Amino acid sequence: MPYLGGEETVKELRRALSNPHVQGDPLRHRSTVLRVIRVMSQGVDVAGLFSEMVKACATTDVVQKKLVYVFLCSYASLNPELSLLVINTLRKDCQDPNPMVRSLALRNMTNLRLPSLVEYVQQPLTAGLRDRAACVRRVAVLGWAKLHSLQPHADIDAAVVNELYSMLRDNDPVVMVNCLRALEEILKEEGGVAVNKAIAHHLLNRLKECDVWGQCEVLGVLQRYRPHSEEELFDILSLLDPYLLSPSVPVMAATLGLFLSLCCRGLPAVSLAALRRAQAPLLAACGSASPEMKFTALCHVQLLLRSLPGLMGEHYKRFFCGYAEPAYIKQRKMQVLVELVNDDNVGFVLDELKGYCTDVSPDTAQAAISAIGRIGRSYSDQCLEILTGLLGLKQEHITSVVVQTMRDLVWVCPQCSESVCEALEGCEDTLQDSQGRQALLWLLGVHGDRVSSAPYVLEAFVEQVRSEMAAGVKTELLTATMRVFLCRPAETQDTLGRLLHYCIEEEADMNVRDQALLYYRLLHCGIEETRSVLQGRRSDPSLGVLIGRPAEPVSQWARSFNTLEPLRQCNAGAESAPQAAPYHLALDPEPSLDLCDPLNPSQDRQETAAAESVNLLLPGPSAGPLAPGPTAGPPAPGSGGGQLGLSLSPALSPQQFEHLWLGGPQCPHGEPGAREEEEEEECVCVQERMGVSPALQCSPPPQLQAALQRSHIQTMAFTPPHTLPWRVYLYTHTRWGGPAPRGPTLVLGELLYTGGAEDQEGEGEGGERGLRVTAKQRPRDDEAMKGFLQVLSGALHTSSTGSC
Amino acid sequence: MSASAVFILDLKGKVLICRNYMGNTDMNQIDHFMPLLMKKEEDGEITPIITHGNTHFLWIKHSNLYLVATTRKNANAALVYSFLYKITQVFKEYFKELEEESIRDNFVTVYELMDEVMDFGFPQTTDSKILQEYITQQGHKLEVGAPRPPATVTNAVSWRSEGIKYRKNEVFMDVIESVNLL
Repeated sequence: MPYLGGEETVKELRRALSNPHVQGDPLRHRSTVLRVIRVMSQGVDVAGLFSEMVKACATTDVVQKKLVYVFLCSYASLNPELSLLVINTLRKDCQDPNPMVRSLALRNMTNLRLPSLVEYVQQPLTAGLRDRAACVRRVAVLGWAKLHSLQPHADIDAAVVNELYSMLRDNDPVVMVNCLRALEEILKEEGGVAVNKAIAHHLLNRLKECDVWGQCEVLGVLQRYRPHSEEELFDILSLLDPYLLSPSVPVMAATLGLFLSLCCRGLPAVSLAALRRAQAPLLAACGSASPEMKFTALCHVQLLLRSLPGLMGEHYKRFFCGYAEPAYIKQRKMQVLVELVNDDNVGFVLDELKGYCTDVSPDTAQAAISAIGRIGRSYSDQCLEILTGLLGLKQEHITSVVVQTMRDLVWVCPQCSESVCEALEGCEDTLQDSQGRQALLWLLGVHGDRVSSAPYVLEAFVEQVRSEMAAGVKTELLTATMRVFLCRPAETQDTLGRLLHYCIEEEADMNVRDQALLYYRLLHCGIEETRSVLQGRRSDPSLGVLIGRPAEPVSQWARSFNTLEPLRQCNAGAESAPQAAPYHLALDPEPSLDLCDPLNPSQDRQETAAAESVNLLLPGPSAGPLAPGPTAGPPAPGSGGGQLGLSLSPALSPQQFEHLWLGGPQCPHGEPGAREEEEEEECVCVQERMGVSPALQCSPPPQLQAALQRSHIQTMAFTPPHTLPWRVYLYTHTRWGGPAPRGPTLVLGELLYTGGAEDQEGEGEGGERGLRVTAKQRPRDDEAMKGFLQVLSGALHTSSTGSC
Repeated sequence: MSASAVFILDLKGKVLICRNYMGNTDMNQIDHFMPLLMKKEEDGEITPIITHGNTHFLWIKHSNLYLVATTRKNANAALVYSFLYKITQVFKEYFKELEEESIRDNFVTVYELMDEVMDFGFPQTTDSKILQEYITQQGHKLEVGAPRPPATVTNAVSWRSEGIKYRKNEVFMDVIESVNLL
């Protein structure tokens, strides 16, 4: 139905509903009501039909009643006074001879969720608790829970609570379970149902009569019960034993959770034994048909392995990845495989992982290669063989990850450095992304004396340093060149000189420049000082990084078993969970670059990873003024101050851009460096002048857009080529990675070049020469603005020199 | 263990059917689900559970539909997924095929079923044979009056229909044996 037809439809339906002929004919009446519901499901707002629908409620047709109630429950909160009219019908229905009608009426009375109706509802609910039909009792019990959740501060009559307790002995198991749920809800402040011995035994005895959902609920409630004696404990355990092997995964998980909570205090041995018994059903769950169950089971297996590291060693084949499995399952399985490796199966596991390294999806391939790297800490030779073989494939994303993995490996196992150095020859051509290059540079720096072509590779990098965008790569390049200079001075001196000159004179990023300055001054102090600083005390390689993890006692994680916690922990890197998972454990301790080199200030690798993992809450495109909320996620371990990242999402449409641009503060004209702010400092407008080279004068160069795109700035529009003045409109979002408290901002920018006769000189001060950059930012964040301007001028530079 | 609301979405994220069981979540939260899912797909990090603020979306995909359950509490994950699969199964038994068209054509039945299978966020009767006895697709004949619920709904054992009684309690088994003689 077209959106525009909404009004007409509503009018037509109103006419139909009020038509006495329609009301007289039950079939027509029902089909009209059906049409109303259909229209409602399609999103048209039919709240105007409320009064007609109320009248339609008084009918003997059950289906029609249900439809009307669906409507009423959706719109009741908008029309509380009119809803009172429905109450009479509902109360009458509560006394209907048909139990179905009674339960329907009760359920919907409580679903209306109107505080004004509470007084009318209480009496039928109380009567419903004693109804002879079980389905009515079920609904009545939950109705009390709903009432309580509607008005949490109003006290529920103690008589009702007592009645609910006594209904725990009801014949119908669903009523019993519903009573549990209702009591949990009502007694929430007091910690839920008070489970004493009598209740616990009663529940256990009736456990087999309940269906799957009921069993899970009962087992969950029983976690609160503490048996009085060991004998009683063992009785309970033997009674629950068959449920541990239940074919239904939720029941099995709930039983296991109960076992763990019962045993973890006093009897750790029993809980470990229970874990071993649960191995089989958990493995079966890992192979279940639905990927979500597999995912849940895998996350729980990871929890288990924290306490019993080698638990499923002989079943490692179950964790081999199927070809068509979704990526998240493959990654979890690989994580589990890494934990299961032992001397017997390492060969098979490595073979399998080698197969995944050439997977079509780059993420899976990367995960597989990192997994091999982790195994390599214990079994270095085989892993190195595989990694070297992968380098031979000359595939860009594979090479990048392999080099990073090798770097991690060398840090942990220095004995591998020989083979790694041999493998490094020739792989610099295939590396394009900054992570891989940083890793390569680090390796060259540290082992420069053993890699024969190190100075020449570095020279190639230095040639291209102007076009290098990532500051991390530049700092790494500086450090590496310095190190290689110290061991092979003759070959590197010239390169180092050029690099330092560029960094000090022309580099815009302050971090890089400062580091270069520092090195320069160090060299002035003398070669011995430099050597002592750069090759200062390293941590003793024989100490090594703790490869394994001590087995944790079960009690640490038992409470979070069978809840959402294990699943969220698995996602902790990819989400911005407001409450950090309490037992968050990084699965592989990442080597910190700090230990090796005190002069390497930023652990850029981890920082950019953190910046990537900050999940931006997306406001809907129709939201008003974009107000991004603070979303700094849990920081990666060891990251320093925030690193500014730019991103293009959420995308802005041209209309939004225009609206925001015109609605923001206007800049005063003609003053470089001018700023204007709105009242609450929510948005700020900045103007700058940038010197521009002759190449940029006729028109924005075609590489400009590409260069901007590479730095994550999106161009919205620009004037046709070869017109003066030319403008470019652009936008980007700034984000802080790491633990900085500032949230993301939206920056809109305009580049304006008006041209002019006398701009042959590069640096003009004032006047109309050069490129005028206007930037508007909301909310205000000066550091982010500075960072953005730096990136922008870098991009302009790059594109104007026309380099690659 | 409890789902606040259950949504059925089409492939683009438009809500086809929604049921708000507990009333503690804003129904507009579902608008955040699809963009988050798309973003995760781009990053290559799809997970079956997506969190937005303190609402968790647990979702499964079936042919061209997404079934999403939202919860705020630390619910029992295996149970919620089990439940979502069970109602998929129930729908399939009613409509033969579960896809967007079958929902659009039969939304009355879908509403009735969703009313019955879950109350206040807790699963109630999910056995499709039992449900079929009183929620039928053809609609009810008006002359007969409202259907009475079968006593199964009120019975101790949830899967056995009431009124089944056999004159003689006996079981017949056929044993077929085949022998190859070489």
